[in-house]
Formats: sequence, C-alpha cells, structure tokens
Amino acid sequence: MNARRKLVLILIVALVLPLIGSWQARAADPVTLEFWDNQQATSGLSKFQEAAVKEFEAANPDIKIHVTTIPYPEYRDKLLIASQGGTPPDVSTVDQIWNSEYGVTGAIIPLDDLIASSKTVKKDAFFPGAWASAVYQGKIWGVPFNVDVWQFSFYNADLLKAAGVNPDDLVTWEGLKAAVPKLTDASKGQYAVGLVGHKGEDTVVIMDSFIYSNGGSVLNDDGTCALDKPEATGALQYLVDLLPYAPEGAANSAAEDMRKLFVNGSLAIEWWPALEQPTLQATKLNWGFVNGTAPKGKTPVGTYGGWNLVIYKGSKHQAEAWRFIEWMTAKENNGKVVDLIPANVEAATAFLKENRKDPDKIVEHLNNARPRPLSPVYNQVSAVQQDLAQAIFTGTAVKDAVTKACDDINKLVKK
Amino acid sequence: MAAVQEIAAAQNRFRSHRLSASERRTAVFLVFPAVFLVAVLMYYPMLRAFVQSFFDTSMLHPEPQFIGFENYTTLFADQRFWLLVRNSLVWTLVVVAFQAILGLASALLLNQNLPAKGFMRALVLLPWVLPGVVNAILWRFMYDPQFGLINSILIGAGLTTVKTAWLAQGSTALLALIIAAIWKGFPFSTVMYLAALQSVDQEQLEAAHIDGANAVQRFFNVTLPAISGIVRLNLLLTTIWTFNYFDLIWVTTRGGPNGTTHIFPTIIYEVGLTQFNFGRASAYGVIAVVALLAFAVLYLRELTRSQAL
Repeated sequence: MNARRKLVLILIVALVLPLIGSWQARAADPVTLEFWDNQQATSGLSKFQEAAVKEFEAANPDIKIHVTTIPYPEYRDKLLIASQGGTPPDVSTVDQIWNSEYGVTGAIIPLDDLIASSKTVKKDAFFPGAWASAVYQGKIWGVPFNVDVWQFSFYNADLLKAAGVNPDDLVTWEGLKAAVPKLTDASKGQYAVGLVGHKGEDTVVIMDSFIYSNGGSVLNDDGTCALDKPEATGALQYLVDLLPYAPEGAANSAAEDMRKLFVNGSLAIEWWPALEQPTLQATKLNWGFVNGTAPKGKTPVGTYGGWNLVIYKGSKHQAEAWRFIEWMTAKENNGKVVDLIPANVEAATAFLKENRKDPDKIVEHLNNARPRPLSPVYNQVSAVQQDLAQAIFTGTAVKDAVTKACDDINKLVKK
Repeated sequence: MAAVQEIAAAQNRFRSHRLSASERRTAVFLVFPAVFLVAVLMYYPMLRAFVQSFFDTSMLHPEPQFIGFENYTTLFADQRFWLLVRNSLVWTLVVVAFQAILGLASALLLNQNLPAKGFMRALVLLPWVLPGVVNAILWRFMYDPQFGLINSILIGAGLTTVKTAWLAQGSTALLALIIAAIWKGFPFSTVMYLAALQSVDQEQLEAAHIDGANAVQRFFNVTLPAISGIVRLNLLLTTIWTFNYFDLIWVTTRGGPNGTTHIFPTIIYEVGLTQFNFGRASAYGVIAVVALLAFAVLYLRELTRSQAL
C-alpha cells in the first residue's frame, strides 16, 4: 500500500468513525414520547404530572415524556387538527365520549393485542363502566385513566333538618318529590333542587343518569334513539315535574350556576360528581351526599365522566407509548397522576379513602354507573339531548320534544 | 381659482398617463405580495368552504363524499334554519338601528359645550373598549335570575315580583342579547358621528339659525346632509359586524334556548367545531356570505365614493 492509498484510507476512517459513533449514540438516545392531556386549570394536575413523569422516566431511562396540557375547550379541536393533519401525539387522554369516534375514524389504534399480553392492564382492574366506555364494535380503543360519576345528590344538611327532610329520602324519586315542596320558598329565594338545562355536557349527564336510573337508555343497541321508551320519557317527565322547585331559568342554567346557589345556602340539593367535595370542604356548609336518585325498588345509576388513554395510529413509538399507559394506569401509579378518581379500582379505593368523604358510597356508585352512549356521532346526539332539555324546560310537552329528538337522532344514525 | 384648475389638470394628466412596460412590471411586483397573501389567506379558504359545502365532510368522513346540494336542501327543509334566518334579520336590523340612533344622539350631546366633556367622551367609550367576552360575562351576571342587577332593579322598583330568567326564555332571550349588543356597540357609532360633526360647516349652521331654522330643522337640513356619508358608512360597517357577532351570544346562551338566539356565526361554530360537521357548517357559511355580499358591495361603493370625494 503506497503512501497515497494509506492517506486515503486514514481519511475514510477519520470520516466514517464519527458517523458510526454518532449513529451509536443516537441509537442509545431515549425516545421522546409526546403526551397530550386536558388541563383542568384549578386542579393542579400539571404538578401531579410533572412528578409522575419524572418517576416514569427514572424507571424507564430509554423513554422521555414531553407533556402538553391543553384547556378543555380547545383540547378536542387541537387533537382533531393534529390527528387529521398527520402530526398527532404518541399518546393522549381523550374524553370517554370521543373514544369511539376516534376509533372509527382510524385516528387511534385498537389495544386488544397489547392488553392481551399485558400483566397490569386487565379488564377486572378497572371499574366496569369505565372499561365499557373504551369498547366499541368489539374492540378496545383506550385504557381508562380517571373517572367520576354524575351525579351525587349533595345536600345542605341544615336546610333539610329545618324542613324535616331525612337525607335518605332523597335516594328515591318518591322521597325526593315529597321533599322538594318542603325545601322551596321562592319568595325568599330558597329552592329545593338545581336543574341544569343549558347547552352543555352537564345537562346531558344529569339527564342520562335519570334515564338510566329508571331502566332506560339514550340509544338502542343498534344505535337508534331510545328516548321515546317509557323509561326515558318517565325520567324526563320526572325532571319537568321538579321545575317548580328549581331556581328560575333552568333552560340556561349550568351546574356551576347551581353550585353558586348551593354554596350560598339558597339551594338545598345540587347534583355534581364526587369532585365537588373539595369545593364543599372549603366552605362552612354542613353538607352530605347520597348516591343519586332512582324510583323506589331501583338502584340509582350514575353517568360516567372521565378520560381514557389512547395511542395514535401515526405514532412511531407505539410500544413505548403502551409502556407509558401501563405505568400510568397501574394500581401503584394511577392515584398519583389523576385529579379525578383513578380508574384503577385499587388505586381509586386508596385515593378515595385519603381524599373523599364516604369513600365506600362513592365506590358503590362507581360500580353501578354507566357510560354515555357509545356512538361515533356522540357529539351530535349530545347536542340533540341538550336541545331536548331546553325544550322540555321551556314548556314543550315531553312527548313532542322526544318525538323530535328521536327523529333527529335517527337521521344521524341512518346517515 | 387658477390653483384649482392646476390641480384638476394634474389629476387628468395622472389619470391619462400610460404606464411603460417596466413601470407596469414594478407595479405588479409591488402589488403581488399583498394580492398573494389575500388570495391565500382569504379567497382560498372561502373557495374551499364553498366546495366543501357540496360534500359530506366530517370527522367520520375525513375524505369528503360528494353529496351535491344535499347540505342546502336539508337546511332549507329544516324549520330551525328559518328560525335562524329570522333571528339573524331581527338581530342585525334592531342592533344596527339602535346603535345608529343612540350613537348619533350621544354624539350630538357630546358635541355640545358640556362641562367635563373629555371625561364624558371617555365614559361613553367604555363599553366599546371592553373585551367581548368580558362584556358577555358582565351581561350574563346582569341577567341572572337570582342575583342579577336587572331583576333587582325591577323588583326593587315594584315593577314585578317575578324573577325573570331573561336568557332562559325564548320570548326574552334574543331581546336581552340585543340590548347587550347595543350597549356594547353604540360608542363606535358615537365616535364616528362625533368626528363627522366636527366637519359640519358652522357658517351654514349659523346662517340657518339667522334664517329662523329651529334646532330640528338645522339638524335635518344642514347637519344630517353634511354627515350622511359617514352615516352610510357606519351603517354598513355595523351591519357587517353585527351580522358576524359571536362572543356575546356564545358565552351567554350558545344559541339557546331552543335555537332562539342562534345567528349564523354561532350555528357555524356549533355545527362545525362542536359537532364536526364541516360540510353542513360550510353550507351555513356560504349562505351567510351571500347574505353579506350585498352589504359588502354597498360598503365598497361607499368607500370608492368617499375616496373620490
């Protein structure tokens, strides 16, 4: 080998070696997962997340997590734009009501195979209704992350005592109906129960809870409208019958509005999920709660609210994303990373014991609750239900309002 | 007189001047960025929305399916669409009319030599400078059936004993929002008219006064003709803005109860961005644009005329 060839060889080695080194270094670089989550501004969720993410990264040095939190009103838009635009996160939370829609559109992947080989993500580990919220057309599209139930009937114990009402009576429709006149004196600005009918999801979850508690459904198994069944119309009529005992303006009232009245002592009963407890604990109110309300002989069935974790089809790190989901929903970790109730039953039990009054009652209600209708057109079904609530709260007969609502829903389903 | 003739001659020379090829290239080069931006950022999305209105485009069908005029025929067959049209007409006409009347009245008042004139002018402007969402929340509180100022005043004055839910009744919700919109918008008209009133020829007013014209006659025969250009411009602008109103309605009622406060922008948002039915939302948008087009043409004509002056 002459000197010239030697020089060329040295040059080649000198050029190639750094490249090999850099390639090896890159191979050892941790994968960065994009994780998007809803930011509930008042919950301090980001603090939990930061701590949890650090813990996960310490246990999984080959994965880094980049967390993006987005306020609820913008969250769905941003997820939609990102997934339709081909730049979705690797993993995100989705509201239970979006899960089937995201599955049908192909934005996220089914998790059946991953769950089958998982040691921690098992159906039995989660509340049944929460698990059901992620199942659509025989496939599992998400893993329940956190949950809560609409609604618990929070009551002002002093007002009930003054009116001679036993809180346990509120559990039955008959008991509640007998109690509300005693708790109402509109001339003094005193009302029994806070009805919610504005155009918002809180209107729908409360309505669903009354329908479920009466044995009804919003949609039939084939996706068509079930609101015209006697169980559903009976529940809607029951709500209308409570109108004289509710603050004026139910058709434009939100749960937040009712909370204001409840906290200032003008309202005897408000309907909220368990997440209301910290708010009430911060007041001087003498309050308690019962698990919703149902006709005598039936069990109150609440409506699930909460979030599931999903993996995006466009993710290049699906295996790592799954490891992250397994970690986030494991019983040891799930309680540390959620602001609502953990969806993992064991984590939830521990969380509730530490953070909520009457945890056993809450667990019972969680076990009985059902998710909202699983439909890829859920948002449009929900909009129809909101219109239905406004119609019956402003004087339209339940029968007429339901006929129109079912007509609208069936058109959507047919399409 | 000679100076005026000179200017007119210069204008004629300018108008009849023919651009050379290089001047034309320079002109095109200078105008191109602006035209390009307008085309890309405005006309292309408008064109896309128009095309999209003939497709079923939703999150479920991200690949659009051509459905012809179905979005339009469905809308026209729906009673709620005609309620929307009625709402939009009532909303726009009443808000614009009262903004103009109140704006003119307050401008005439503020044009007088009142004490603390500057402070009064600033005070009148306050609703206009308030952010839209803040204004909406403010009025939501005012109309609150239990704690609201409106009910407190009415009950306190003995006019009623009923706590009216202004925003929860189909019979009152639109009216309540119209009042809120007028309150928010009239200061803009005030500012416009106040500026216009400064240009009214005082000598003409004095001459009319000497000739025996009373205040009303002076207003209708001297002041109003003098500011008529601004009045027309203001009416056109406020019509377009009012038709396109969004935040007040969305924050307070979201178009409810029963669609009685929905106008085009709120329904477009609801159908497009909460139900993700982009095709239907585009159809609403196209109809809204067609409705506004007449006003836009009038506005452009008025603008051209005022520039010619």
